[in-house]
Amino acid sequence: MLGFLTARQAGLDDPLRLRRAESTRRVLSLKLNPDRDVDRIHGNGINTIDIEAIEGRYMLSGGADGVIVVYDLENYSGQLQYTCKAVCTVGRSSKYVHKFSVETVQWYPYDTGMFVSSSFDKTMKVWDTETLKPAEVFQFEGNVYSHHLSPIARKHSLIAVGTKEPKIQLCDLKSGSRIHVLQGHRAEVLSVRWSPRYEHILATASADSKVKVWDVRRASGCLFTLDQHNGDKSKASSEAVNTAHDGRVNGLCFTGDGLYLLTTGTDDRMRLWNSATGENTLVNYGKVCNESRKRLQFTVSRGCSPEFVFVPCGSSVAVYGLHTGELVTMLRGHYNNVDCCEFHPDYQELYSGGKDCNILAWVPVIRASDVEEETKSANQLQVSREIGYWQFDRPKGFLASGSGSET
Amino acid sequence: MELSQRDRLSELVEELTTSGQPQLHQDRMKEVKKICRVSNDCIEHVYHSLMSQLNQEHAEVRLSAFQIATELFSRSHHFRTLLVDNFQELLELTVETDSEQPLPPPKEVARKLRSLAIQTIQSWQASYGSAYKKLALGYHFLKQVKKVDFQDAEARTVAERRREEERQRKMERIYKERVEAASKDMEESCQEIEATLTEMESCMSLLLPGFDRTDMQTTNHSPPSSQAANACPSADEQPCCSRDLKDNRRGGMIQEEEETKERKHEESREGKERKEVEDREGEKEEEEGSSEEEEGGPPGGDVFIRSSGLVSHSYSLDLDLRPGVHVKETEDNEAVVSTVIDLHRLIITKHLPAVQGWVQVFTRSGAEQQLLRRALELKRCLEAALQKHKELHIDYRTRVRRVMKASADGEEDDDDDDEDDDDDFDEVPEKEGYEPHIPEHLRAEYGLDPAPSTSTAPPPATSPAAAPLPSSSSSSSSRRLKRLIEEEQDPTCAAATLRRLRQSLPPPPESSSSSRSGSDQKAAGAPVVPFGLDLYYWGQEQPNAGKIIKSASQHQFWVPIDVDEERENKELQAESRSRYISFPGSFTPVSHHCRAPVGWGKLCQRQDRLKCPFHGPIVPRDQEGRPCRQEDRLREEQEERRRREEQPDWRDAELMRDIEAATGEDLGSDRVGKKGKGKKKKKYPNLSDLKQSANTSRSRLEKKVFNKSAMRRVAEVQGKDDRRKHDKFSNQFNYALN
Repeated sequence: MLGFLTARQAGLDDPLRLRRAESTRRVLSLKLNPDRDVDRIHGNGINTIDIEAIEGRYMLSGGADGVIVVYDLENYSGQLQYTCKAVCTVGRSSKYVHKFSVETVQWYPYDTGMFVSSSFDKTMKVWDTETLKPAEVFQFEGNVYSHHLSPIARKHSLIAVGTKEPKIQLCDLKSGSRIHVLQGHRAEVLSVRWSPRYEHILATASADSKVKVWDVRRASGCLFTLDQHNGDKSKASSEAVNTAHDGRVNGLCFTGDGLYLLTTGTDDRMRLWNSATGENTLVNYGKVCNESRKRLQFTVSRGCSPEFVFVPCGSSVAVYGLHTGELVTMLRGHYNNVDCCEFHPDYQELYSGGKDCNILAWVPVIRASDVEEETKSANQLQVSREIGYWQFDRPKGFLASGSGSET
Repeated sequence: MELSQRDRLSELVEELTTSGQPQLHQDRMKEVKKICRVSNDCIEHVYHSLMSQLNQEHAEVRLSAFQIATELFSRSHHFRTLLVDNFQELLELTVETDSEQPLPPPKEVARKLRSLAIQTIQSWQASYGSAYKKLALGYHFLKQVKKVDFQDAEARTVAERRREEERQRKMERIYKERVEAASKDMEESCQEIEATLTEMESCMSLLLPGFDRTDMQTTNHSPPSSQAANACPSADEQPCCSRDLKDNRRGGMIQEEEETKERKHEESREGKERKEVEDREGEKEEEEGSSEEEEGGPPGGDVFIRSSGLVSHSYSLDLDLRPGVHVKETEDNEAVVSTVIDLHRLIITKHLPAVQGWVQVFTRSGAEQQLLRRALELKRCLEAALQKHKELHIDYRTRVRRVMKASADGEEDDDDDDEDDDDDFDEVPEKEGYEPHIPEHLRAEYGLDPAPSTSTAPPPATSPAAAPLPSSSSSSSSRRLKRLIEEEQDPTCAAATLRRLRQSLPPPPESSSSSRSGSDQKAAGAPVVPFGLDLYYWGQEQPNAGKIIKSASQHQFWVPIDVDEERENKELQAESRSRYISFPGSFTPVSHHCRAPVGWGKLCQRQDRLKCPFHGPIVPRDQEGRPCRQEDRLREEQEERRRREEQPDWRDAELMRDIEAATGEDLGSDRVGKKGKGKKKKKYPNLSDLKQSANTSRSRLEKKVFNKSAMRRVAEVQGKDDRRKHDKFSNQFNYALN
């Protein structure tokens, strides 16, 4: 750390280098911290969480009882101990609340004044954060498993929606209507994700064990279907052609740069694909327990030098090296199945929600001072926290533009 | 950490957890703590061994392991960290948070473990919850997701509580039904009961006025126990109990037989009268007894006993004179008494149980007070009636006999010779029939000695019923015989005792056979042969024995060439003249032993005639069990060699077990070991055996029926049947198709 700092001072190093090293170290030291709590609002399992990208301050969570909660993650109290307060709640008493389990929540990528939620009550609602009233409600024929707004889209404002129907719906926020349907799957669509690199590229995962990548400008069909055997016909039995998994595919996640796509399936496997070619990179992550019949929300770290995957695995969160497939650690703290996890890229914190009604914050352990004996640990902690602010606040704008040059 | 410590810790943990005790062994626990104090490594080692023990499918093991964990949890921070780190698993294994992983049997211990774990976790949360986040999380998980009520003493989950509620509701319904049925029942039979009670009341008031006339007596009540105690002072002084009574007596008293015979009839009556006197006076009884002994006894052997109730004149008899109400039935009140008896029986067998049942139902279901009060009132009335009846001291045992007597030989007995001795008995409910077998534990209750061989005739031995013995010739023999049989069946009669004595003695050798004629004897000795053809034509020439007659063909023109109308069959002919009598020979018991060495220097003690099932043909052997003949010795050596070859020494059970432990692969050491030892020793004798409970008749049958070899055999047989059919008839279309 000190070496990095001096090198940085001397201007020898790229600023990225120090940042990567430190965030990698922090990710590796993620732990359940008694100082960080998240309010217990949900009385039922938590299906989905989302942290907004603008400030990194507010977190949405959707529960199996239809409740949606907004948390404030930022600690302005100056105390070490912090409980993330619930800022506002769409509770059971609200008349706009989802009737059934909320499956996906997502902030509008450019503004915290709006968020979108979809539920098993066959609706997707676009909420005004201020009034907590839905500005728009989309009705569907089947349960909505997943929806996604493109995080980088400038030219369109489409929400891709995966429902029980095999067709993927595209809803336009501008017009408030369903403008397009993508056909090709044979079973319910469990997960949809926009590419963080190209705004028209969409990946969808379905219970028919297939993962398709679409260009929404192309009407005729998908770009390609991921094949676990990379087109090697000899290995695949006739019905397993062009399948990504041997079971339902219920998790999708692009890496931060959008170059790779991760999928998880109920065959207890996780696969890493080249998102440009659809090639299976054949990284072996071993067995990733996955019994979920619904969408599994997992995430990838951003800004570390080897990147990490955080994937719910039974009652714990497994951390894998993205490209090595090596199991780094298991974050054990939930007492029931974990359904979702979200990485906070600014502070390298991980939030996970599970069926035990808890949202757990996994916070990097403060590095013990390797210099002299520091008697006031709290003081020192404050210092390091401030360093953290200083470090990560500054290059934030830089991050968006830097991601392209990084690769 | 040193290896010795590690080993010692493992050993201690294993001992503690497999003790099967609900509490930990204090000294061992102390030792564990002492070792744990040495270093964190030790704690880690204990933690790992505890977790592995917690994973055992045995609730007792888990309970003990959890108790150890509790002890260490409060002492070591390191242990706390380790345990809390893996708190999910701990909860799964002790609190049953995962419904797919229920706690293992035995159920009682599992329940205990669960409640203990919940209480402990609560106390942990109270003291360490703030410091250990996962502990707090786990506590909240239990509280909010699993809805464990920590205040609930039973520590039940929601599901359990719901189940409990359901059960209660069901019980309530059942109770309600029962209450309804009972109240209806009560309505119906209330009148009947009341009628019975009134009847009983009036019967008793009828009986009681006759109280001061003749029936009241102050009789002796000598409890049977005291008499029994007196009756067996020493072994040589109880001739009536000992088996050789008859023989002893017969020699000495044979000369008196004639006069006794003459006097027999009156004497039996006199004796009883005398005895009554005797009993009242009490003191003179000794001389009386001695005189009695001289006159009584010999013919049946027991006249003295019968007449006095005593067996030796050296007895002292304690008499307890107690006044009391006693209703004695005469012919006048017989009808009333029998009614009372019937009513009594009705109350005891029918009304009282019914009323008690209602009371039980009402109290248990908490029904209306009124119903309960009414039922209790009925019960009280019935009990009062019974009590009153008891106070009357009506003796129906005597009465029953009296009735019988009146029918059988009324002219012989008068009403006077009724016995008072029966008053010694407590009133007992009437037995439906006699009880030839009285269970050992009930013998005291029946006033019998524990051992049947020495059972004395109880006081009613002097009852008039026993008076007429075979020697008495006055009344018709058939009637007497009948009565004798009846009395023999009654265990309280002297006749029964006599019969038993007779049975226990060896049968008198000559008396019966000498009386029979010689021809009779021969006839008895001759075998009975079934009647056959040979006997039918005994001594005659049989006309067509052994000839087979073939009927000529009835065909008009077609006749077989060699029609032999008659054919002689030598065999048949011989058969009709002779008779086979199979002679199996006589059984000679085997006197030799197998004597093959069986280990530990012992020799096989089996006595097979030719071949021991374990050691083969029986050959002469020397002291050490080696065969005497050379060829036998060679053969045995060969066999030994072959056995060893069959199981090469690398298949040594111990070695294989070691290898298995090292590699984790199953080489089948337990199979080999089993073959060698025959019976596997139980590993942890203190733990309750889980398989024991599964040892039901069903499981045993299953083991037999679904036995692999049995299944294979059956399948083979069936397959063979099928194949045969197929082989034979496969070319026929209707078989070929199936």
